[in-house]
Amino acid sequence: MKRFFKVYGIEQKLFFRSADVFVFNLCMPVAVLIFIAMIAGSKAAGNSGMTYLQSAFASLVAVGICCSAFMSIPIVIVDYRDKKILKHFYCSPCSPGWILGADTICSAVMAVLSALLVWAVSVLCFGYRMQGNALAFIGAWLLTLVSMFSIGLMIASLCRTVKVMNAVTSAVYFPMLFLSGATIPYELFPKGLQRVADILPLTQGIKLMKAASMGIRPGVAGYSIILLLGITVICGMISVKTFRWE
Amino acid sequence: MSTECIEVCELTKSFRGRKVVDGLSFVLEKGQVFGLLGHNGAGKSTTIEMLLGLKKPDNGRAVILGREAAKHRKEIFEKVGVQLQASNYQAAIRVDEVCREHAALYRHPQDYHALLEKFGLEKLEKSQVVKLSGGERQKLSVVLALIGNPEIVFLDELTTGLDVAARREVWRTLKGLKESGLTVFLTTHYMEEAENLCDRIMLIRNGKKVTEGTVAEVVKASPYDNLEEAYLWYMGEEVEL
Repeated sequence: MKRFFKVYGIEQKLFFRSADVFVFNLCMPVAVLIFIAMIAGSKAAGNSGMTYLQSAFASLVAVGICCSAFMSIPIVIVDYRDKKILKHFYCSPCSPGWILGADTICSAVMAVLSALLVWAVSVLCFGYRMQGNALAFIGAWLLTLVSMFSIGLMIASLCRTVKVMNAVTSAVYFPMLFLSGATIPYELFPKGLQRVADILPLTQGIKLMKAASMGIRPGVAGYSIILLLGITVICGMISVKTFRWE
Repeated sequence: MSTECIEVCELTKSFRGRKVVDGLSFVLEKGQVFGLLGHNGAGKSTTIEMLLGLKKPDNGRAVILGREAAKHRKEIFEKVGVQLQASNYQAAIRVDEVCREHAALYRHPQDYHALLEKFGLEKLEKSQVVKLSGGERQKLSVVLALIGNPEIVFLDELTTGLDVAARREVWRTLKGLKESGLTVFLTTHYMEEAENLCDRIMLIRNGKKVTEGTVAEVVKASPYDNLEEAYLWYMGEEVEL
């Protein structure tokens, strides 16, 4: 275990050294938050009963998760496979599982830091207070994290080259980012578009987080939770079954 | 006690109907430096990959230290160090970090500082691996192959792409290792490398064994008096200068 954490420690250091991770995982969500809060922070977002700041808080925490799930995880894994780093781990008493596990933890740590940063800026600069139960919010956050990570790991398993992986992550990531309410508040969408967005797992994750942060019981929480759990199990299984270290 | 480290028997592998390795058999004894020689695409890397359990042979078997690598990965790789052809490293990783990461993979690693010093890399400990020269990077890959204190090391085309000075420097370090009793399995297409380092060599062509023996034996069995000419003769590609 001690040896695993040595490997993890070095991988985490490399994460912090990467400019991409710094910009996309840490800076971007906070920058968007500041932007929204300055323009329309205390205004009501549609007829959702939330202010723009309250809506943005949950959404931008989700953006942090997505940056880790759809950028860090597949990019690192496909790159390591390309560079034969996974092969090198195979030719050691440890398995490629070590480095994959270490990098998944690194990505999760980045998502946590991103969330903490969004939270700190919301609270300290814009007077945000969570009305709902913080534990329920953390639960919803974790569920969103594992489901998005399972999708990211599945992409990493299925895509053989960096080129294909880039195309697939863009095709998965950007529609989800725009339609789920992570960037444009979901509450402003017309009904038809909301229905389309509802199919996306990220939408359900954000809905759960919003509801938990506002302390309201969402009408369709059961549906959201089952959908996210289902995705986690299915994508997790596909990623394990189709994984190739070379 | 048997002194056989590696035993290969009728190893065969095809890709898309083409036989890449065709019925190879050989034995490598403890403390020997064994060179597998052949053109690009002769099946050298595929042979190594089957030995290490990275690829499954269609036929035959390869045993390292009495075991098949694919079935006993953990035990085998505690005792076997590997340098893979054209290996790369994580972006922005430093020399000391890549050493520490590799050391963490083994139960009884060597002190990497001492190894870096032995290979003349101690001043580069804090440099990024991408900024090293070709020769320095190849020496680093040998350091990494040795970090787990192995009994056998596999070096796949270690000196390909290096300039003459860098190649000689790598050879010098390998000679040191040989003197310390390490068993080495290497592939190369530099005849000078084989002459300088190898106790035994085997020439392969299209996956098949052409000849095997000490460098002197191989040269003697040909009409020529040096390995390079003899090699071309064995390959059926004598070129008049």
